[in-house]
Amino acid sequence: MHKLREPRVFVPLLLLLVLALFPILLPDSTYEESVLIACFLLAIMASGWNLISGLAGYVSLGHSVYLGIGMYTGAILSKAWGIEPMYLMPLGGVFAALVAIGVGAIVLRSRSHAFVIITIAVLWSVQLLAQVAKPITGGADGIVVPPPAWAKELGNIPYYYMFFAVLLLTILLAWFVMNSRLGAGLVAIRNDEGKAASIGINTTLYKITAYALSAIPFGVAGALYGQYLSFVNPIGAFGILTSVILVLAALVGGRGTLWGPVIGGFIIALANEFATVSAGGVSARVLIMGIVLILVVMFLPAGLLPTISAAIKRRREKGDTVKFIDQTAIANSRTEVDTSAISTRMSTTSKVENILEVRDVVKTFGGVRAVDGVSLTVERGTITGLIGPNGSGKTTLFNCMTGTFTPTSGTVLLDGENITKDRVWTRAHEGLGRTFQITRLFKSMTVLDNLVAPLEKTSAKQMVAGRYSGEEVDRAREILDFMGLSQFEKQNAAALSFGQQKLVELAQVLMLRPSIILLDEPASGINPTLIEKLANVIRRLNEAGTTVLIVEHNIPLVLSLCSKVHVLAAGQVLTSGTPEEIRNDPLVIEAYLGPDHLLEAPSV
Amino acid sequence: MQIVQVLAYGILLGGIYALLASGVTLIFGVLDVVNVAQGAFLVFSALFTWQIWDMFGIEPLLLIPVMGAMMGLIGWAIYRGMLIRVAPQGPGMTVLLMFGVALTMEGILNLGFGNKFKSVTPAYFTQSLNIGEIVLPYPQLISGVLAIVVLAAIYAYLRFSWAGRALRASSQNRDGAALVGISHKKAAGFAFAIGAATAGVGGVLLAIMYPIFPATHYEWIARLLGVVVLGGFGSIPGAIIAALLLGTMESFAATFVPQWAPLFFYGTILLILVFRPQGIMGSKTREDVA
Repeated sequence: MHKLREPRVFVPLLLLLVLALFPILLPDSTYEESVLIACFLLAIMASGWNLISGLAGYVSLGHSVYLGIGMYTGAILSKAWGIEPMYLMPLGGVFAALVAIGVGAIVLRSRSHAFVIITIAVLWSVQLLAQVAKPITGGADGIVVPPPAWAKELGNIPYYYMFFAVLLLTILLAWFVMNSRLGAGLVAIRNDEGKAASIGINTTLYKITAYALSAIPFGVAGALYGQYLSFVNPIGAFGILTSVILVLAALVGGRGTLWGPVIGGFIIALANEFATVSAGGVSARVLIMGIVLILVVMFLPAGLLPTISAAIKRRREKGDTVKFIDQTAIANSRTEVDTSAISTRMSTTSKVENILEVRDVVKTFGGVRAVDGVSLTVERGTITGLIGPNGSGKTTLFNCMTGTFTPTSGTVLLDGENITKDRVWTRAHEGLGRTFQITRLFKSMTVLDNLVAPLEKTSAKQMVAGRYSGEEVDRAREILDFMGLSQFEKQNAAALSFGQQKLVELAQVLMLRPSIILLDEPASGINPTLIEKLANVIRRLNEAGTTVLIVEHNIPLVLSLCSKVHVLAAGQVLTSGTPEEIRNDPLVIEAYLGPDHLLEAPSV
Repeated sequence: MQIVQVLAYGILLGGIYALLASGVTLIFGVLDVVNVAQGAFLVFSALFTWQIWDMFGIEPLLLIPVMGAMMGLIGWAIYRGMLIRVAPQGPGMTVLLMFGVALTMEGILNLGFGNKFKSVTPAYFTQSLNIGEIVLPYPQLISGVLAIVVLAAIYAYLRFSWAGRALRASSQNRDGAALVGISHKKAAGFAFAIGAATAGVGGVLLAIMYPIFPATHYEWIARLLGVVVLGGFGSIPGAIIAALLLGTMESFAATFVPQWAPLFFYGTILLILVFRPQGIMGSKTREDVA
């Protein structure tokens, strides 16, 4: 309970308490109640929107469509079944979520800007549908909703508490998502979606889930809101201005935070009320909202809450000195560490000798055959190298193995299973881990957060599990210890040097318990001392049972580490063999240095 | 015969969509910005056309170069004044900025012109060209043909001029283009100006075809972005194909199931995206390099 003393916990709780008591403390304040109801509704919407657009970074500009769907669900079903719309709130949420899943399944599969645009089109087409489908929706005239059954003298108070309850539930939902692995995955997607997929996050599923969850508060509140307004029509239910205002609210308060959208909801709803009362009609409001949106985007892009808390943090830390970190101790991997942390998962059970195999892989880009019929194998338990001059097709082949590209023809086998068409995250689940030539850590997260982000499988249980729950944190610490990176645990990934980031990325991949790790130019851009340490880490990983495939330009490193090396040239396998064979192969020398080299070289 | 007429009508409509959408897709290609204010630019130009026509009775088509230049200038100013600062924060923020610009323009137009429909009705407004049984109303015919002509001119310019090559270079590889002396900021400002200018031209064409009021910009931007998504982001040929497809589609729907025509428009887009998430001409780019 000591947490209650922290201002960021007790301040919002106190404010919520005041709001809960407001109608009791100040009875007969109908106007104030209606203003607060508008605040609640906007806060609900901004918090819901925040789940997809704040956490995952996919901006939706037509999110009010789900409010309208809730309103129509309540109105239509209440007419059909003869019950009050407020009892249909859960169904409003269900319908909103179902529509969101349908839309998401179409536009959230790939990583593109189609989403933001389709959100506007969806709002627009649902409004048209409501106008056209007269027998069900009543067309442009809409549907009149019966007044509530409660006594008139209660006024808006029951509505006040119902909207308040929906707001509390929405905040709870947002809190739950943010502290779950789902939330961590969404933030990872916002940071770097391709990377998120490579560490086993099913990005499509995560995005669609977030989108559906974000629609639920809208649908629930919508069913209630329809009755509150006492009629539902297409223009009112699917107005784009509602979408604008809710985006503005979330933006002003602070996207991606728990309380930011709530605070923003109150600020913008009050400002909106003020503008309506003093500045006049809709035209003036549109103009004001537009100008405020421009100003916020330009001068307060992070929103009020994050800006204020950053300022407070800066003031607090002013006196602190920067902690010294012993750079020389990095990656002095400790030998006494239990290697179970870096164990692989299937090396003992599978009988296939070649853990990774590509057969006749061809990849063309237009007329260029970057990879032209390559077949090669990586034996279990080895460190295998893949070298070749620039433009020989190494990286393209690597991308076909990791799933960034789908080969034009040919197959890729992992542990004897055909994975040619598997999605990137599926490969990660099946035991294939990869690093990137230029590291792609989630820079706004700490090293530890980066390490607990990978997912070994996709399961509902895991999505709802707490961010730091389970044995992942222990294992992450063991791996950091193994790599000699423990002292960086709480640092932001962006604060590390490039070489350190490479080690952290390798540690991150180890969290997947991969049976094979594909290293994309691990030694490029880091200093020789660190390269030596990296080589040691790779050797020790290999001793613990992990197979390693290295794509590298540093030939001495490859030849000293690997037991087998494949050489690519012009998109084809030039030769394969032991380091000794490769070193003396005239073909390899020719491929790297050109034919002229041979004329003089033998005489030396 | 009705089929031919509907088809011709569809192609003319598609030509207009193509011109308007090519501006959006050009801006996206070079700047990585989804310009949701394009609809507002369009309505802005259309209402100014109405104003000038209403005051001086001038032939509206003569305003095409004026409106093109005016919107080009406004676009360039928006880029230099605002977008250039927000661009580093990525497409999520720039789309919100342009949304703000759209609302501000709508608000200004609301105050200036009132929330009423305005129609530009020159003499040929109610006349049509009759070829046998085919009847083509002059406003549609003139707008459609002019749109196609302007689009062809822009396309040729981007294709064959030095500046066009520079724009394409900058859209394909920003840093690479910078190395050979193409300033991205200049290229981006220029691209945004051309993109906005297409809306300036398009506004005049719309003004003689449809009644306009400020809030119609939402409807237009939803359509244009639909065309761009369907065509594949950043691809002008893709936008043209998608525009012709959707224009024809809408023309047929408007003839046979008039009430449902707009829904056919969006339905087609969603249906095609189910099978081709990247759009008609969109390509998947490599993702291995951050």
